[in-house]
Amino acid sequence: MSVRSLRFLLFPTLFIFLGAQQPVRHPLYPPPAPTGQAGLDVALEATRHTFHEDLDSLLRASAAYRDAVAQRAPAERVREKHLATRRQFKYCEYLLEYLEPESVRRYLNGAPLPKTEPNVPEVVIVAPTGLQVLDELAYADDLDYAALGKHTQTLYTTLHRLVPYVRSIPLQHRHVFEASREEAIRIFTLGVTGFDTPGSVAALPEAEAALRRLADVYLRYAPYVAREEPATDQAIREALRVGLAQLPEADFATFDRMAFLRSTVDPLIAKLPRAQELLSVESAADDPRQARPVNARALSLFAEDFLNPAYYDRLSASPYGAERRRLGELLFFDPVLSGDRQLSCASCHQPELAFTDGKAKSVRRNAPTLINSVFAERYFYDLREAFLERQARHVVMDAHEFATDFGAIEERLRQQAAYRKLFAEAYADQPKYALSAWSISDALTHYVSGLRAFDSPVDRYVRGELSALEPGVRRGFNLFMGKAACGSCHFPPTFAGLVPPLYRESETEVLGVPYAPVWKGARVDPDPGRYASGRPEDEADFRAFSFKTPTVRNVLVTAPYMHNGVYTSLEEVLDFYNRGGGRGIGIELEHQTLPFDNLSLDKAEVADLIDFMEALTDYQALNRRPERPLRRSTE
Amino acid sequence: MRTRYLLGLLLCSHLATGQLVFPAEIDPPADYAPREVIMPASPFELQVLFVGGVDMVQTTGTYGNEPSQTHAKEWHDFIGFTPDTTGQSMGWVSVNHESIYRDDRIGDGGGMTVFRVDRGESGDLIILDQELEDGRNGKFFNVDFVNTVGETGMNCGGISSIVDGRIWTAEEWFRDDNSDINNGRFSNFNQFDPAPGAFPSAVGFDENSVGSPVNQGVRDIRPWAVQAPEFPFIHQDTIAKYQNFNWMVEIDPRQARAVRKQYNWGRQGFEGGVVSADNKYVYLGVDATPAFFLRFTAATPGDFTQGILEVYKHDAVGDTKWIPIDNDRAEAVLYLDSLSIAAGATMFNRNEWVAIDPKTGIVYWTETGRDHPGPRWRDEAEAGAVLAPHHVARARAQRDSLTAAGLPDTLTALTDDYWDYYGRILQYDPTTEQISVKIEGGPYFSESPSQANYPDKHLSNPDGLNVMTIAGEEWLVICEDLNGETFGRMPAENNRGGAGIRNRMCELYLLPIGKDSATVDDLVRITATPLGAEITGAQPTPDGKSLLVNSQHPSSDNPFPYNHSLTFAIHGFDELTTTSLELPDRDPNAVGLQVYPNPTLQTVFLNRTQDVALYGQSGQRLRVYRQVDEFDVSDLPAGVYYLQGVEGEVVKLIKQ
Repeated sequence: MSVRSLRFLLFPTLFIFLGAQQPVRHPLYPPPAPTGQAGLDVALEATRHTFHEDLDSLLRASAAYRDAVAQRAPAERVREKHLATRRQFKYCEYLLEYLEPESVRRYLNGAPLPKTEPNVPEVVIVAPTGLQVLDELAYADDLDYAALGKHTQTLYTTLHRLVPYVRSIPLQHRHVFEASREEAIRIFTLGVTGFDTPGSVAALPEAEAALRRLADVYLRYAPYVAREEPATDQAIREALRVGLAQLPEADFATFDRMAFLRSTVDPLIAKLPRAQELLSVESAADDPRQARPVNARALSLFAEDFLNPAYYDRLSASPYGAERRRLGELLFFDPVLSGDRQLSCASCHQPELAFTDGKAKSVRRNAPTLINSVFAERYFYDLREAFLERQARHVVMDAHEFATDFGAIEERLRQQAAYRKLFAEAYADQPKYALSAWSISDALTHYVSGLRAFDSPVDRYVRGELSALEPGVRRGFNLFMGKAACGSCHFPPTFAGLVPPLYRESETEVLGVPYAPVWKGARVDPDPGRYASGRPEDEADFRAFSFKTPTVRNVLVTAPYMHNGVYTSLEEVLDFYNRGGGRGIGIELEHQTLPFDNLSLDKAEVADLIDFMEALTDYQALNRRPERPLRRSTE
Repeated sequence: MRTRYLLGLLLCSHLATGQLVFPAEIDPPADYAPREVIMPASPFELQVLFVGGVDMVQTTGTYGNEPSQTHAKEWHDFIGFTPDTTGQSMGWVSVNHESIYRDDRIGDGGGMTVFRVDRGESGDLIILDQELEDGRNGKFFNVDFVNTVGETGMNCGGISSIVDGRIWTAEEWFRDDNSDINNGRFSNFNQFDPAPGAFPSAVGFDENSVGSPVNQGVRDIRPWAVQAPEFPFIHQDTIAKYQNFNWMVEIDPRQARAVRKQYNWGRQGFEGGVVSADNKYVYLGVDATPAFFLRFTAATPGDFTQGILEVYKHDAVGDTKWIPIDNDRAEAVLYLDSLSIAAGATMFNRNEWVAIDPKTGIVYWTETGRDHPGPRWRDEAEAGAVLAPHHVARARAQRDSLTAAGLPDTLTALTDDYWDYYGRILQYDPTTEQISVKIEGGPYFSESPSQANYPDKHLSNPDGLNVMTIAGEEWLVICEDLNGETFGRMPAENNRGGAGIRNRMCELYLLPIGKDSATVDDLVRITATPLGAEITGAQPTPDGKSLLVNSQHPSSDNPFPYNHSLTFAIHGFDELTTTSLELPDRDPNAVGLQVYPNPTLQTVFLNRTQDVALYGQSGQRLRVYRQVDEFDVSDLPAGVYYLQGVEGEVVKLIKQ
């Protein structure tokens, strides 16, 4: 087939639009279906064509933006150019992010926060740049033309280099489907929450642009999906139609994000991989060798298997998983691990309190819940440990916790016949290391990794297992993901700092948490947080007082709150945020990461937010201890 | 449905530009016998030697603790090999631990572990029991730094002398104050924890005490009194504790103790080095930007306590390009960079491991690169240091491409926008004193290359380096690191056959040392390593049969202990022939799908770049490879597979 005839075929498909309220009934739909393979070729070629046009438009828009700034155009015009550039970015976002995630993060649309240069033998601070930085600059009260000029020029030169390269990547069917699904997750978790539009708050129009492009792309594949399984095609088109109908009408403060999730985002998450499979298109998930954070087959953002624990726990595959988990549970509750036999893991992580202990500080900091704790890039409030398996080592060696070492623990366990037997069974494939520092940690990791729960009323409602949600909970969810800006740090589905849509990075934040619960002239808690993680690359000033974002699941039973347990009630916590964090109570930290001054949440809204968080409670299924601790015997 | 796909497949097989969708299932050919190719088993075998954090090391009495044993440190990096000249064993293996971590028995900071090996009758290595002069008994021993020369940290590369197996350990990450080594800046009563009493301490107890959970690094940060009578210029001086880090340290692997900090080689963020065959010169690599290339010349060969230190200056006028710098004053060796800058020395971008070809005396090293070195060279350039010519040339080329695109032409090697993503391997010829590029990393594509020109291999940030003799010829052994992924620096296509677009991995490559003007196409990829591992160490055994390697942060999908920091041996190098490492003779005119399996590389080569699908014995599609001319099957279990090409033909692949 010649290029010319291919163009002819794809030309009409470029102009498919979805009516705002109408069901999809474009005169060209369904188009005359060529044979499967040729039709798919046309769909891919058309997608490629659109993507390349979008990239070129983005480059042109960024040039116009730069020029407007250089000419010191009035604020309205600068903002107009800014929004036009961002919109153009949103049209290509799905594939650009999929193909070049690191470039987008560092140069195009990364968080407006400094980072340290990776993989170099010293601390080098990399200043942020890109569209999020510009979003704040372009919407400042007084425009800083010098800063705008610098960042728009960087944006343009970056795109100038990036676009030719990205254009050169031969696009594959699976790229299109996988990027689209990833974008659906991004639209919900980062788009409609206002995450990447801190200044303009153009979140919803941008979400619409991104979704519109997904629709354009999908419609090219639709006839072939429909031919294999009409219901799947129907579900995808309906999801796109409803979303594109909702977004243009919506107002940021009142947008029903729960409805959008249920009617648009979740069906796309579930059905796009199905469509891919129906078309026999291969998947990145075909390669079983490397676990991926997001399960390609999960049917909902809130599905129990949406995130893949194997990616995070890094446990080696073995046929003895169940035995190891049971052994880990015994160890978890057994004070044999501590030097003076007084403490077990469960001393601070009690199952009755969702694996916390109710204290402000267990030792140095507030004991976090272990439920879903496996889902993190790194562990501890200061992110000092990358491997869950090595987490126990910190506790074992800490003079104020177990105050011992693995050598002594191994020796003790070896003296107990029951443990000897259990280790020999659970690690039968590793006789040399059956009872070793590794197997002890590994068993504990199996247990902790198994402490997962995604079955709260909110989860079940999103998945369609509950037909209704309390109105307050629903309002609270919409506030959480919108006006109250909670969801821009506590990302679903973990509601912790695990960043979507790749779920590979755990964030820490500088909130300015006070030393004592006072509301005026407060002093910052002196714990330096991530700055003192012991990782040389964290010794940058902006990491001081920075702490891992914990989950808000199960907060009903995990008081007190914050890394130092300074607040005893959720009302206090929300009061703190409502005032803009530390800044609002007299703590001036240069690198506070809460972008807002105050949230203007009224009492009813606070109550709704608390209702919502309380509806994220799900720990009872895990609230159990081993029936009988292992009997101690020396032979 | 199956039939329809096959029909579609047949109808469209003429489409060269399209992208064939391979059916998810095929019927195993029943009525005809497809061509059959056999992939013999790999000649390589892996043997685990030493697992970090799990195996026990014998310790000396440290910090008031009795001699005992404890779990070895982790983060294995360099491996040294010291041949046993007594004939009682093969020799001693020394392993670096690249960390800075407290340990009550081994000692704080980084460290090293040593063990003695011999070749068993089965061909495996046996780790021998030893009794050391200090009374320690066992298999693995930590090298005692604390009670000898003082702690070390981030032990990365080192020197394994080709003359006699003397071992030095290097410490990257240059330390500027005590907080850098104790990982507890806040405990120094600084702005974040201003004063005890006035405001509570972060933790309410002494952070610097032994066993403290807060201080994860070197806890004893009292000033250090140097005891080094060999070096009178610094002997009995009191220096800040951090200043006792970042020296090359010689160890005695036989007795598992440190011998001396090499104060006369200067204090640098060293990463590697070599001793020349005449035991006279030591060439040193420094992991920094700017990095200077240093040489120590022993007054008496083999005695490295007396001699001169020089720095390389490529544009020096006169007989030699080596400029002497003081190494007999404490302030000179402590602040060596300032002397190199004053000497107008040549600046590089992160020199890492150094290797030497014993036959030619040519010194090779990895210049691993960093994204934007310009800002880190500027001050030094202003003060007189000079840029290595290859950076000047690269910057010129980058500027020309900007100019051609109508962009401002202000780029130089010293501006922020100069980039050096991939690094390279450099070579120094002692007879001409010239430095040149052995192989450039990359390649970088700013524009679409034609598919056929897309290299299958890609060299990014070479780090570990060694020389190994295989089948009578010498090869560079190259360990890759990855500094970043922006701007398409890792091509999307180069993703191990379409398995997953963002699962980059560090590769272990061989390069024929005699190959002039080598390119990435000349690299030979060794796949016999755990998935996702960053391989370091790469030290051949003296009998040429095995390559000892370390693995850092491998993927969890490997079975234990290959999912841990560990040292293992790859056996079987003695069975290789040069041709077993060569690419097959492909017939470019061959029609359809021709496959050429290479058991050594565990790679199936194709006659040309194309799409191909791999099916299991029952016809289930396992993997689709797009636009590849080879793919790696090292992870596939032995068995029967089918390969299908775009024209529908099927090849039966039997993996043994």
